[in-house]
Amino acid sequence: MNKLYEWFNERMDLDSIRAFMMKKKVPVFYGTVWYYLGGISLFLFAVQVTTGILLILYYQPGSGTAFESLKLIVGKVQFGWLIREVHSWSANLFVLFAFLHMFTVFFAKAYRKPREITWFSGMILLMLGLGFGFSGYLLPWNELAYFATKVGSDITGAIPVVGDFLLKLLRAGDEVSGATLTRFYGIHIAILPAIFTVVLGIHLALVQTQGMSVPPEIEKIPEKDRKYMNFFPNFAIRDFLVWLFILNIIALLAVFFPWELGLKADALAPAPAGIRPEWYFMFMFQTLKLIPPHVLFIEGELFGILMFSVGGLIWFLVPLLDKKAHKGERSKFWHWFGIGLIVYMIVLTVWGYLV
Amino acid sequence: MSFRYLLILLLGVFVFSQEADSTKQEIELDACMSCHEEIDEDFDTPIMPHIMDDVHFKVGLGCADCHGGDPEAFDDEDESMWNVDSFIGVPEKSELPDFCGTCHSDVRYMKKYNPQAKTDQVAQYKTSKHGILLFEDDEEKVAVCTDCHSVHGILEVDNPKASVYPLNLPETCANCHSDAAYMEGFDIPTDQLDKYKSSVHGHALFERRDISAPVCNDCHGNHGATPPEFDDISYVCSGCHVNNSDLFKKSHLNDLFIKEDIPQCIGCHSNHDIEKPTDEFLNWTGGSICINCHDENEHGDSRKIADTFYGIIDSMKQQIDIADHLVETAEKKGMEISDLYYDLEEAHKSLIQTRTSIHSFNEEFVREVAKPGNESALKAIEGANKALDEFDVRRKGLFFASLIISLLIVAIYLKIKDMESENNE
Repeated sequence: MNKLYEWFNERMDLDSIRAFMMKKKVPVFYGTVWYYLGGISLFLFAVQVTTGILLILYYQPGSGTAFESLKLIVGKVQFGWLIREVHSWSANLFVLFAFLHMFTVFFAKAYRKPREITWFSGMILLMLGLGFGFSGYLLPWNELAYFATKVGSDITGAIPVVGDFLLKLLRAGDEVSGATLTRFYGIHIAILPAIFTVVLGIHLALVQTQGMSVPPEIEKIPEKDRKYMNFFPNFAIRDFLVWLFILNIIALLAVFFPWELGLKADALAPAPAGIRPEWYFMFMFQTLKLIPPHVLFIEGELFGILMFSVGGLIWFLVPLLDKKAHKGERSKFWHWFGIGLIVYMIVLTVWGYLV
Repeated sequence: MSFRYLLILLLGVFVFSQEADSTKQEIELDACMSCHEEIDEDFDTPIMPHIMDDVHFKVGLGCADCHGGDPEAFDDEDESMWNVDSFIGVPEKSELPDFCGTCHSDVRYMKKYNPQAKTDQVAQYKTSKHGILLFEDDEEKVAVCTDCHSVHGILEVDNPKASVYPLNLPETCANCHSDAAYMEGFDIPTDQLDKYKSSVHGHALFERRDISAPVCNDCHGNHGATPPEFDDISYVCSGCHVNNSDLFKKSHLNDLFIKEDIPQCIGCHSNHDIEKPTDEFLNWTGGSICINCHDENEHGDSRKIADTFYGIIDSMKQQIDIADHLVETAEKKGMEISDLYYDLEEAHKSLIQTRTSIHSFNEEFVREVAKPGNESALKAIEGANKALDEFDVRRKGLFFASLIISLLIVAIYLKIKDMESENNE
């Protein structure tokens, strides 16, 4: 084994890669548990990629084949049901853990200098994750997915000037059709993964080179009084343990809470009752429903889009706007802004499911 | 409300008010109407409130087109009516069929309004019981055109407000036929409407508002209305219940019914109060209609065949119920069983066919018809059981996978503890 390592080491300088990885230390304090959230998101992404590749082997995009091929996958292909269930469940869990990761980073002020780019790249990864969710939702080509995509993509059309162009670009035409499905499939399995891989690479490289951030109050503790553990192997093995735990949960969900196939999409059929987007879009969907048709001189839908765009931009630029964080202080305003956002998202999501 | 909608609303009001004005103008131009409007209240049945809806009026026909006279002669009764040769006035009841038939029996004339219009109403009427009584027995207590269609407010037959619209027809016929005093002397019952309302057809019509359900005229005819005789009742029922009738006519019971003078169909199912058929009709000791003629304590061939049919259908139903339950259970557990719905559908369809097939009174034939249904139900049961077994395999698989993962978790946890103690040392 040593000989094999030496053989590769001479050619690839494994020692320096090993030293680079061993360099990383994980701070030990009350919030160490937060550090697992990023790792869980990464693990779930890996599960997504693996199961996604397996699904590609049988899935056939197209209005006449998508639903049928999925029926084949869950009905006839050996363990096809498991792959599909794991893919669907891990997709939802990925978004959930990515959100949790984002909020823990926010409240730990981990975005402060010099980790602004890590925050930006993380936000881009979250948005790409939502893009994965939106594009993947249509792929089963069932009734609910069809109409939810129709409603969801309609919102794009409300954007001034470029809305119509974007809508056609997204749908590959005026209406959601087989062409939209093919386009979403391409976005889901090629475009988004390509961008995601690059951004994820940057994100991980930054985390590795800059090390783990600690909250401002921990930072004030003298270095000699702070506790650390090695990332390799101490934290990595704990990460692995948590991943196995998550894998167990996914398996449980896959067997006892299977995703329904529903009815095949029919463009001529009336929209079914209870069209709703995926849970992580629900707060936006519910907000748009509550906004009156006109707000001042702006159309309600457009007002909603503007609100989300401005809100999203502010959230994205938090590392640049929160000046106190750079001084190692906590800003009350941003603290309550974060709490307000969480409360808003939870209340609107629950509201959306209740009505 | 936007300006655009307000504009459309205003235009709509304008257009409708224009239409109303033009109609009023036409009425004012007609000499008959201008006088009758003033004396309308003197008539037992006023004309003016209904005339606007009348189908004849709507196509541009005026009073003179039916009653004759000169509609242009204003302010002179003699010139508009009494001195005009074409003036008919109010026809006698016995004259009414031919009065309406002047136009309605004229093929060429009727084509102007409806190329597919029937023109045999008067001819049909003369063959009806009403017509025969009217023309041959001078009986005037019979229905003529206006009794069913009304007089001056005649609506299209497909107008839901029309007295002859399917939903209204039973009540229209019942105006006379349920009036015991009026029907006295005709020697026919007057409870048909009540019986009909309690029947499977009546339920379909009045409760489900299903206008395809048969009403009086569908069995008795309309213009040629006549009570079907015993011999031809099966022709009436077979208009809809084709298979039941065909099978019965080929059965050995057909000849027996004819010989014994038992009316087909209604012999078992009755006529106006036809019950919704259930499988219990075959249950000799539990509501069978066979015992209307047969002895309840009989143990001969008739009972044997009823018991056999009941058994075939009952076992098929049980089989289908099991299949339905299993498929539903498998689906609730998230198994992909959509193909099994085809088998279930086939089984349910076959059950209906089997129920129909008993009219053959042929055991071999009924078993043959039931066979594909039983096979489909069995196929669905097997498929659902397979899916449930698969679910069980999944659960067991999950258990073992979970066990292995859990063991791995424990092993890693112990390794972590081990590493921590090494570090402490």
